[in-house]
Amino acid sequence: MSMLLQCLVDSILLGGLYSLMAVGLSLGFGVTRIINFAYGEFIMLGAYGAFFCSSLAGIDPLIALPAVAIGVALFAAIVFEFSLRRVLRAPAINQILLLFGVGLVIQNLAAILWTGDARSVETPYSLTAREFGDINVPDGRIVTFLVATVLIAALLWWLHRTELGRAIRAVAQNRDAAVLMGINVMRMYLLSFMLNAALGAATGAMASFLLTVTPFMGFPMLIKSFAIVVLGGLGSIPGTLAGAFLLAFAETAVAYYVPDGIGWAEGVAFAVLLGVLIFRPRGILGQAVEVA
Amino acid sequence: MILATLVAAASVPTHAQDTVKIGAPLELSGRFVAYGAQGKRGIEMALAAHGDMAAGKKIEVLYRDVQSNNQVALTAFTDLVQQEKVNFVVGPIASGIVAASVPAWREGKPLWLVPGSSSTQLEDAMKGETLFFHTYPWAYNYHENAAAAIAQAAGTGKKVVIVYSDGGYGREQLPWAKEFYTKAGFNVVATELVREGAADLNPVLQRLRQLRPDVLVGIVQTTDGIQLAKQIQVAGLKVPYLVGTAYPQLKEWADAVGPEAADKWIGITTYLPGMTRPADPNLPKLFPAMSDWETAFRARYHREPEFLDVTSYTTAMLLLVAIDQAGTTDKNAVARKLASLDIMTMLGSSKFHPTAGGAVHQAFSKMIVFQRQGDKFVTVYPNDVANGKLMPRQ
Amino acid sequence: MNANRESGSPTSLPIALLCYGAAAVAAVALPLAGSPLAVNLMLRAGSIVMLAISWNLAANAGLISLGHSTFWGLGSYAALLMGNRFGWPFLPSILPAMALGAAVAALLAVITGRLRGIYFAIATLALSEGLRVIAVMLPDLTGGGAGLFIDQTLRPEPRLTAIVTALGAVCFALLAHLLSRTPFHYACRAMRNNEHASQMLGINPLRFRITVLALSGAIAAFAGGVNIWYGGFLDPDIGFDLHITILAQIGPILGGIHTLAGPIIGGLATLLIAELTRMWFGEQGYSLLVYGAILIVSIMYMPNGIYGTLRRLCAPWTKRRAAAKTALVAS
Repeated sequence: MSMLLQCLVDSILLGGLYSLMAVGLSLGFGVTRIINFAYGEFIMLGAYGAFFCSSLAGIDPLIALPAVAIGVALFAAIVFEFSLRRVLRAPAINQILLLFGVGLVIQNLAAILWTGDARSVETPYSLTAREFGDINVPDGRIVTFLVATVLIAALLWWLHRTELGRAIRAVAQNRDAAVLMGINVMRMYLLSFMLNAALGAATGAMASFLLTVTPFMGFPMLIKSFAIVVLGGLGSIPGTLAGAFLLAFAETAVAYYVPDGIGWAEGVAFAVLLGVLIFRPRGILGQAVEVA
Repeated sequence: MILATLVAAASVPTHAQDTVKIGAPLELSGRFVAYGAQGKRGIEMALAAHGDMAAGKKIEVLYRDVQSNNQVALTAFTDLVQQEKVNFVVGPIASGIVAASVPAWREGKPLWLVPGSSSTQLEDAMKGETLFFHTYPWAYNYHENAAAAIAQAAGTGKKVVIVYSDGGYGREQLPWAKEFYTKAGFNVVATELVREGAADLNPVLQRLRQLRPDVLVGIVQTTDGIQLAKQIQVAGLKVPYLVGTAYPQLKEWADAVGPEAADKWIGITTYLPGMTRPADPNLPKLFPAMSDWETAFRARYHREPEFLDVTSYTTAMLLLVAIDQAGTTDKNAVARKLASLDIMTMLGSSKFHPTAGGAVHQAFSKMIVFQRQGDKFVTVYPNDVANGKLMPRQ
Repeated sequence: MNANRESGSPTSLPIALLCYGAAAVAAVALPLAGSPLAVNLMLRAGSIVMLAISWNLAANAGLISLGHSTFWGLGSYAALLMGNRFGWPFLPSILPAMALGAAVAALLAVITGRLRGIYFAIATLALSEGLRVIAVMLPDLTGGGAGLFIDQTLRPEPRLTAIVTALGAVCFALLAHLLSRTPFHYACRAMRNNEHASQMLGINPLRFRITVLALSGAIAAFAGGVNIWYGGFLDPDIGFDLHITILAQIGPILGGIHTLAGPIIGGLATLLIAELTRMWFGEQGYSLLVYGAILIVSIMYMPNGIYGTLRRLCAPWTKRRAAAKTALVAS
């Protein structure tokens, strides 16, 4: 029984991390219809940003988070202005490959500048846990869950209650109509790409104390975020959240109850993904998105 | 046309017999860049200390980036062996990359020194090869020593659990760990697989908690070793003896997990930071005392040396000395010389010996078992070099 | 393999056939005459070109794959296991490899049904990642993460693997060329643009999808199967490597997607860039950085690939000649 409870707690906390991780990719895709193959590298940059704030200036990742997110978002703006802007009308596969190249450059630049050494931040809450009977709840994961909740709530509020947010949603829903309404689509693209990077960086700041930071940490995280976004339905933020929790539950349950389960967990993720694609290609909560 | 140019360019052989060419295919980029960087630093430093002449010829080290990619490793190795016609190769280091290089090595069979890969699959593949020199421990060396050390401190009949990664590293070592811990009188009650780079190891730790193990052996690579140590600390898993294969001695690992989580971890290694090793009496300049070498390393690279820095320095220096003493660049003559060298190095005696697994030339397989106690390393095994006792956690 | 082939589509068939013949002769002669490094490069060139042709074939029918390592990996494992388990030598082992690649590709075509565009791409990605996990988790069959060496006694001469790879590349290029001259070509274009329209043309979309994907899968599996006999060592990270997937796309996109010459030019250019950056920037560990930068710039400034750019640059010249001809006829 306590094992079942522990499994539930672990899944929910992991779901929080996955939600934050995938929501940025989802938003970026929803608006620009571009799969950001350099998204993992934005996570990695956020993680290094938080790591250096902590190791050089002694600033806690939570305090450093806004600055790190803004820094990475500005970097993303440069990437957008100098490369992505030129291929917005190119086929999706060209954009994917371009962003893959961007990711490759960032990854290797990081390895050259900061070496390939693995790092991690130590915070007052990264190695402690709360005990409730037999249930062990790590503080670092609670913090991550709370940060994810706050950031996603803020994002949803912004998208629904502010003019800029509504404009972004308008572009996501119907680009041509948005143009007719006088929305500067290019500016919305830039903004959503920056938001996507900022959310990636926020995930990275959490990963800096929760996981291990290396220049190559991003790509597997991209693939997982990608799976979550598709699982939930491309372009739908509530769908992405559902996908994140679904994946977290499936992975954790398999890890707890199947022998060698943690090795199969990733396979389960892709099996679920394939299943969803075949039976419900628009994802569990996907909106009507026409993507050629 | 493009291809024809490439092929033509590749077909021009280089004739420069006034130099000694040493090939160094290393992981200079990609995910194993931390290994390759250490390999390169070690070789560079050996060359700087030795001077760039050997056997009356100028030494030229041909570094090749294998990009942590097996196909590229094959190309780079082929290029070194067949095109540059090097007689000597040092590297690569990561076991998968070394394995991928074996077929290319066979096509020309230069004298090959490997300062990495503990894979016994490699040992098996290189059975009986007299031009293959391995200067890194094999998988079983780790577990043979660790099991004996813990058995000595904790007594037998205790429960052991093994956590291993699904990558080559963990899979390769698992049978050896099982064998040696069982032989030493332990009861291996569970072997748990973890995925390389997994975001949450808690399911495994919670399952293990119910078994109340006395010893946990973590056979994973450094990044997963960091995750494992941190999550054991967070989960409050009370295991008296925590053993890690190749990471507890690393500064990188200790920095990342923090002093509290790193405390009392037990490791197995051939080199510990700050250990005392005297200089070789005959070649003190080339094989200096450990502390002198560490000072020189810090001055040159502004960082602390790690295990592979020392291993690759020693390996490259042994090759340079063997070429000097053989007085020729003939690979067989140098191999014979190398096999007969008996130098006191930072990793212990350089005497190469055959292994039970079939490797002809193996050095530095005598390992020490140590424990992190606070900010100190305490050597606990073998007894002739021990300077303290193994202490259970909590 | 030679520049003449750029003139692929507009030239008459006999001239094109002559080019393929010349390329085939080169495919046999270069490895025989060249150094071992040349053999290695021929092998990599042939592999990249085959992957590019295979990927482009599927892309022509509107099926953008993000998981070509699936077929490469299946081909590699099939060839290796046929050798190690049943003692099959090099050439025969390639047949089951191709059959497996084709079968899984056909299965993929069936289960993905009407999935198109990005959804199909993601399904292929999920399949290749799923297969990688399976390969890692079934060590008794695949050797797991520790990998497997191929039976050393069965390994062919490296030259032979290079010749087979290069000849394979020429044959598949020829096959793609011949297909482009049949109604198949129009069916592809119809599928790419509109599946309903293709139905009205009397094409059975599902059967067509199965055929195209099976062909594409078999070609990539051929490349993987031959490669493992040369490389001699296989683990899940080599077999189901995401970089193989990327490599399969870089060729066509760099060269010119939906063209005949594009994938070939692009594949060879990719190899050239990769090798040159490794040679010039490898020692400092900058090679992948520079490679990535070149990739970015190429896609930004050559959206239609090298072939498209060349055609555009040559266009004024061709036009002038055509105009001169018309003028001559008129006078």
